[in-house]
Amino acid sequence: MSALQTFLLVVDHDKQEAKQIAERIAQDVETKKTTLIEVVQSLGEYINDEDPILRGKAVSYLTAVIKSLPPRFLSRQQIQVLTTFFCDRIEDGGAVAGLDTLQKLDRFSRALAGEVAQAIFERFQDLQSRSQSQRFQVYQLLNELMINHRSALHNMGDHSMVGIVDLMTGEKDPRNLMLVFSILKVVMVEWDISDHAELLFDSVYNYFPITFRPPPNDPYGITAQDLKDRLQECISSTSLFAPHSIPSLLDKLDSTSPNVKKDALNALIACINSYDPDTVSRYSITIWDALKFEVLNAQEELLSELSLQALQDIAKRLSEGVTRVSDQLPLAQYMRPITRECNDQLQEPQQKQAKPAQQILGFISAASVASFMLSVQAVVAPLLTVYQEADGIAKQRALLDTLVVLFDSAIKIFGEWTTRTPETNTANPLLEFKDQFSDIFGQALMGVIKEEVSFRVSALRGFLRLSTLRHFFQDNEVGLFVQYLDEILLKEESVGRDDLKKEAITALTEISKHKPKLIMDITFPAFVATLPDFDDGTNSNYLSTLESLAQISVEKDIFETLVRRLLSKLNVLLQKEQPGSVAYPRAILVTILYVMSQRKMDQDPNVELYYDKIVVSLCRNAAVSASGKANNNILKDATVLDTLGRLCNLIVRALPRNKQDEVAESIYTLYSSADDFSPVPFSQSASDDQQRAMIISTYLLAGLPTDCANLPHTSPNMSALLFDVVKRSTTKCAPATHLALLRHLALLVNKFLPKSDLSLATELFATLLPSSLEGKKLSPESIKTLFWLSKALVLRLAPKTADLLTSLLSLLSSPDEVTSTTAARSFAILLGDDDVLSATNGANIRLLSKQRVFTTLVPLISSKIREVNVAGSEFPTTEHIKPAYLTALSGILSTIPPYLVMPELPTILPLLLQSLDLQTSDSQPVRTATLETLAVIIRDTGVGVIEECGHIQSLVTRLLKTTEHKPASDKAASANGPRLRVDALKCLFLLAQTPASDAPAVAKAGKLSPLLPVKAQVVRSLGFVLDDPKRDVRKAAVDARGAWLRGVDDAPDDDE
Amino acid sequence: MASEMQNSNPTILNAADLPTRLQPARSHKLGIFGNGLFASALPSVDASGFLLGGFTSSSESESDDDLLEEPIDEQEIYDLVSTISDPEHPISLGALAVVSLPDISITPTLPYVPASPLRTVTVLITPTITHCSLATVIGLGVRVRLEQSLPPRFRVDVRIKEGTHSTADEVNKQLADKERVAAALENGTLMGVIAKMLETCL
Repeated sequence: MSALQTFLLVVDHDKQEAKQIAERIAQDVETKKTTLIEVVQSLGEYINDEDPILRGKAVSYLTAVIKSLPPRFLSRQQIQVLTTFFCDRIEDGGAVAGLDTLQKLDRFSRALAGEVAQAIFERFQDLQSRSQSQRFQVYQLLNELMINHRSALHNMGDHSMVGIVDLMTGEKDPRNLMLVFSILKVVMVEWDISDHAELLFDSVYNYFPITFRPPPNDPYGITAQDLKDRLQECISSTSLFAPHSIPSLLDKLDSTSPNVKKDALNALIACINSYDPDTVSRYSITIWDALKFEVLNAQEELLSELSLQALQDIAKRLSEGVTRVSDQLPLAQYMRPITRECNDQLQEPQQKQAKPAQQILGFISAASVASFMLSVQAVVAPLLTVYQEADGIAKQRALLDTLVVLFDSAIKIFGEWTTRTPETNTANPLLEFKDQFSDIFGQALMGVIKEEVSFRVSALRGFLRLSTLRHFFQDNEVGLFVQYLDEILLKEESVGRDDLKKEAITALTEISKHKPKLIMDITFPAFVATLPDFDDGTNSNYLSTLESLAQISVEKDIFETLVRRLLSKLNVLLQKEQPGSVAYPRAILVTILYVMSQRKMDQDPNVELYYDKIVVSLCRNAAVSASGKANNNILKDATVLDTLGRLCNLIVRALPRNKQDEVAESIYTLYSSADDFSPVPFSQSASDDQQRAMIISTYLLAGLPTDCANLPHTSPNMSALLFDVVKRSTTKCAPATHLALLRHLALLVNKFLPKSDLSLATELFATLLPSSLEGKKLSPESIKTLFWLSKALVLRLAPKTADLLTSLLSLLSSPDEVTSTTAARSFAILLGDDDVLSATNGANIRLLSKQRVFTTLVPLISSKIREVNVAGSEFPTTEHIKPAYLTALSGILSTIPPYLVMPELPTILPLLLQSLDLQTSDSQPVRTATLETLAVIIRDTGVGVIEECGHIQSLVTRLLKTTEHKPASDKAASANGPRLRVDALKCLFLLAQTPASDAPAVAKAGKLSPLLPVKAQVVRSLGFVLDDPKRDVRKAAVDARGAWLRGVDDAPDDDE
Repeated sequence: MASEMQNSNPTILNAADLPTRLQPARSHKLGIFGNGLFASALPSVDASGFLLGGFTSSSESESDDDLLEEPIDEQEIYDLVSTISDPEHPISLGALAVVSLPDISITPTLPYVPASPLRTVTVLITPTITHCSLATVIGLGVRVRLEQSLPPRFRVDVRIKEGTHSTADEVNKQLADKERVAAALENGTLMGVIAKMLETCL
């Protein structure tokens, strides 16, 4: 059998082998064993066969051989002969591929390219009746010719253009269209199409709008948007299309489909930005007339936005090259009807259509300097007239808002004071009205009764824009505004929601970025002057002043001044001998803490200064106070110490390493000499005041890096120190001190205890926990210590984590109710976020720790509860045990991310339902936590999962029971507090609100809602909750009931 | 629905100027330590809560509030109906001043029986134009909203405000007629319109 015959046999089922045969022949040709002529001649009997498939295969053989030849092998003449051969047989399969191979060769000439194109146009009149893949091959060949031999096609002129259009007319396949559009775009842009503009335009516009929706799992990944983009590029490719495209696109705006309108507007915008300005100008007013309606009677936000964009783009195009503004400009002619319309609508500025008119004005005026000048000329004077004649504040306010829109445009064009871009040469046309604006806005802000909050807010916003607008106000004019703001903040009483004050602070903050000096010179002294030197606790006006100061101190200079002033105030307070309120010094510390936490302190050059002034000096002061040698008790107060500690913590974290080592040495001495203060650890007789200083020590410790050297009492190991801290934390002391001790212990164990010494901590745990099961009675302090110690170990996933957790759980079964309940409540500590033992402070928190705790504890709790349920009431003495386990569970759940909970849902749901059954008032926290978990479950997974577990009825019944308000009887507080009732209602709301998202719409159709069986019950019960005495509960009940009435569809009637 | 808008350019009130219930004054006072600006700087100043147990047991402060009853008042009724959308515009009835706080009243249904818990809520509607044919639909919407949201002891009375509509009597008769209201609510198209109006009530 000849090679050709073998090829014909295998080509259908074994591409690989066919290719090998072709390669072999190609090699023979190359080594001159055979010639190309012989190969062609061998085709002889097949290429005239009647069967087109056989002919095609034969041609493919030739193509395959050529493809396998090295690219420079064929001579110019051979290429010519082959091209002619393929062109003659172009309808046969394989020929197109052969031509594609040939046209890639260097020796393929321009003339040949023309010949190929000619053959395509002549012989493929019936292209659309061929298969998609054949068409695709032809388009691809054409596309390749476009890329490699464009001049040949270009020289054919109209012939190639018409040829291409004829070829593709009727094409429907998205993949082919992608190619066709890109071929046509080249023709549109590069050919002289003046005689055939309409033909070409129609050839692509026929496809508008594109309604293609890709089939599911489309392997080609062509989206409707891809097609839309290519089509849009064609439509917008040349100005010659304008007479056809713009009227057609505007016609499409009459469509009822928002998608069609959206596509039309997008195409229109593309045309505006691509056609030349003269063309855009010719159609500008026509477009305005059409788009006006879209904006003024906006049905869809998006359409109105696109229309505004189109209008603005026209203004931008018409502004190109404009240097002097005059009435004769195309831009001026375009804007005239627009500003007239805006002026008309703004005569009654509080009516509905004034809002869109404002938007139009905003978009048009922000297009360019020229359009801004024209807008200001046309609009400002009439607006001011309407303002003077306005009969009510509502109207005036709407006018102020309109001016603010113009100011926004001014800022876009001329920039703010801090804008870095080069300035425009043109003078700001608003300058002409500067004094008038100043009067109007000043009067509106300060000259009306205080209750007109929203009016004054509008005035304030306008004034702020003018103050930040580059080169508009002089400094003294901005200063006047700053004074107004100070007055509002310092002298005025609060009105309503304090919107004006909030805006005033925002405005000052904004101005401080542009004109920090004005804030320093005017606002700062005025505010600081109102801070008292002393506070006896009767007057807390300083709070709002401090809040304002904190918010405006964003700029570096202002921040530094603020900290300096506040520290000197604080130092004065610390020297005072008369006893004053501790709230004031604490508020000062909070303010400093706030402004520092808003900055990147580790990049602040002054951080060492703050270290000296705050950490060293104030800690020393605190130590002196603890020893009872200070003038007053300020630094003995736990809340003050707590705030100071946080502040020190922040600074210590930002310090360079050598300073941190210094801190480490002083965490217990607090920078004091042994005479002034004796450090707490190992002290036999530390007073309460001295113990309280551990609050500061703990915060200092938290701020240090893990590998910090110089930590006191850590060599040879921490054993003694840990033992001492535990001894203190298991003894009764003030809550704040106790918490500090617990955190101190946790920090040491979690952050600083070397891995090799972990056994120290586990031993400590063992000594605290009595080994015998009977008579487990521990003090609450010991229990807390156990839990914090476990927290420290569990977070770093120390060995024996599971053992620790099991031991903690066994505490719940203690016959002593106090022990059991305290332990149960402490489970929330284990994984709860803590401010001190936190990632920010470099605590050792392993990613899997939460998962580990959860997966260890939940099965244990679940089986224990089942055990208790089975045992029933045989042991009446242990009634507290089941609630204890449920409490522990809810404590853990409240600290676990929901995605961990979901897989365990079938186990947990029954437990959650049981905790809802605890209808006592002291179980409220447990039930609150349960409801929060339930809410997350419902929101994330919908009803489906609960339905699968078969718990809808029991869940709904329990939720409804929890929404009931029973008036508190004489002694027992009501079992369901307002918050609990709201939470339960929220769950009910979510049940009906959350769609069963996992089921596709089709599958869901015929299926009834799983909630339907309980709908009547829910709607009826909630009817009574609507009469709850608490407003928040009623609001939640209204929402829940509405959701059930709306979201749970009734069964369809059977009366078909 | 009618294709032409009956009133395409109504006056709109500013959202900030609509009557709202002010938060009780105490929340301002807490400012610096509580929910004010510094809350972010001070995540849990009240650390002692942590000590008492996992959950801050604030039940004591809550039970104080618990005793304080908050009866249903006019503002609450206003909040229920002012968020309904107008069938013509995507704007709330409150912003269009179709409903307003002074035009809402709550009175005892049986004034001669002081102990009776029955109350009547009267809401007067002001159509944006005097010949608005949608007044009935708006009235019905308000009625449906209140009946869904008020406890059974409340009677709902929705009427057109005197002198604001050319066929006020006719509309009032329709709105007051229980049979006709019930019949209207059986009408699928009408209920569709009303459901759309109530969508914004959340």
